[in-house]
Amino acid sequence: MNVQLAEYLHRHLADVDHVSIEGFTPIPGGFSRETFRFDARVSRGGVEEVLPLILRKNPPASAAILETSRQVEHELIEAIRTHTKVPVSRSFGAETDPSVFGEPAMVIERMHGKSQTSDLFNGGVDADQADEVMRHLCELLVELHTTSLAVLNVGGQLSDPRGVGIDASSWDSYMESTYEYYVSSYPSLNYDPAAMIMLDAALTLRRHKPRPLPLCLVHGDFNPANFLYQKGRVTALIDWENSRVGDPREDLGWMVAMDGMSNTAVMSHPRDEGGFLAYYNKLTGFAVTAEELGYFILFGTMNIAVPVASAIKRRVDHEHEQFLHLYLLQPSAATLVAFTQLLAYPGAPS
Amino acid sequence: MNTSPGIDGLLEGVVLGIGNELMPHLSNEKAQASAAMMQSILQAIRQMIPLFDSALIDEHNAMIVTLRSAAECLATVTGDEADAVRDRAASIGQRADYPTPADRDEVARAHTELGRALEASMIDLDTLQRKGGAPAAAADEALAVIRAHLAPRYLRDFQAITVGAGFLGRS
Repeated sequence: MNVQLAEYLHRHLADVDHVSIEGFTPIPGGFSRETFRFDARVSRGGVEEVLPLILRKNPPASAAILETSRQVEHELIEAIRTHTKVPVSRSFGAETDPSVFGEPAMVIERMHGKSQTSDLFNGGVDADQADEVMRHLCELLVELHTTSLAVLNVGGQLSDPRGVGIDASSWDSYMESTYEYYVSSYPSLNYDPAAMIMLDAALTLRRHKPRPLPLCLVHGDFNPANFLYQKGRVTALIDWENSRVGDPREDLGWMVAMDGMSNTAVMSHPRDEGGFLAYYNKLTGFAVTAEELGYFILFGTMNIAVPVASAIKRRVDHEHEQFLHLYLLQPSAATLVAFTQLLAYPGAPS
Repeated sequence: MNTSPGIDGLLEGVVLGIGNELMPHLSNEKAQASAAMMQSILQAIRQMIPLFDSALIDEHNAMIVTLRSAAECLATVTGDEADAVRDRAASIGQRADYPTPADRDEVARAHTELGRALEASMIDLDTLQRKGGAPAAAADEALAVIRAHLAPRYLRDFQAITVGAGFLGRS
């Protein structure tokens, strides 16, 4: 792998005399991509520097849960770097030829900053930074949500990155085509009749369409673990593979859901502004309500549940023998209980 | 409870996972042997489960008959030991038989069929709800009935598989 990485960096870095790779190590965790950290020691005209890098590689096709393109992710990251102040890792380019790294992959810069965001909450060692970090995080989300799609969605590849028929030409068509995606996906994910609550969720979402807001680029996995921070500032927003055109409330709803599951308190900050949502509304004028957030928690949960449950069904139907997909039945049991709460089932736990 | 995958499907998945995803990476011979023994035990459990309930009941009912038959053989024998055997036949040997359990696969098929019926009803109710008016209100009520049936099931399933070390990170 070190040889392939060195050759890849030779191709993607200008004026490089020599590249050597050090400390190539897998980063555990994550369902969707295989990630590895390493350092590249690079010589240019006799000057040596060390680049901290990450290799993000697609899993084998049979194990894939979320089908996304490294090329699209590379172009997105570079568009965000070019057109916004949102801090993201530099991407050195996608390698779409699977013969190089075994699967399509990309190499990105390893950003500085702490990833242990739980230290910001519950009396953690960085609790004194929580207000300023969340203020900055909110400002970055607002910038992302208010930057023109004309510059971030060049070529339209983020309108329907999963290729499932999403029509992002207007807010209405986006919502209607997403409902259609959720409902029509049901036969491909109902590994057991117990999955019927996901059908109920899709149909319920369709019956209660909220008011429109301008479509924007959503991060797609905006949660308390997907940013780095240092000295009261966010140093990077990470993990952009589910980013796409969407409703801005999707990111807020997903953060509310994950904030609860992670026992963090992103949404409570900055306190002097009345919390994350109040500050977001002040900056955008969107006047997003708590009720709307409830709707988009369900909407966003379905966005993840559809590919995950489909992966489980492929395993149950013996299309492959990946153990991970069978294991997913366990966390899914918790998700189904969460659905009973979101849909206010009689007798659901509060 | 899920019928797809059921208990057998889960066990089969673990057996395959050990073989495909663990054993090729075990360099220690003792660890390889342990992994193979785990597969063997899990395979044995897969084979025991379909027989277990009916075998217990068959054997329970047969032991009642056996106790009585053994006592009958001692009809002409006197003494404490023969009395003890007759006492057992007269007490525990008079228990009623347990009924033969329903076939597990058959119950699972019937369970699945009812689940699919509820699923199809959700789609019909959604159509009524979108029409509005009195049918929609009635459909709302019908959907609430289905939801009230489902909520405790999801909670029970979750609790059943997450107790103790049943959920990664919750040991």
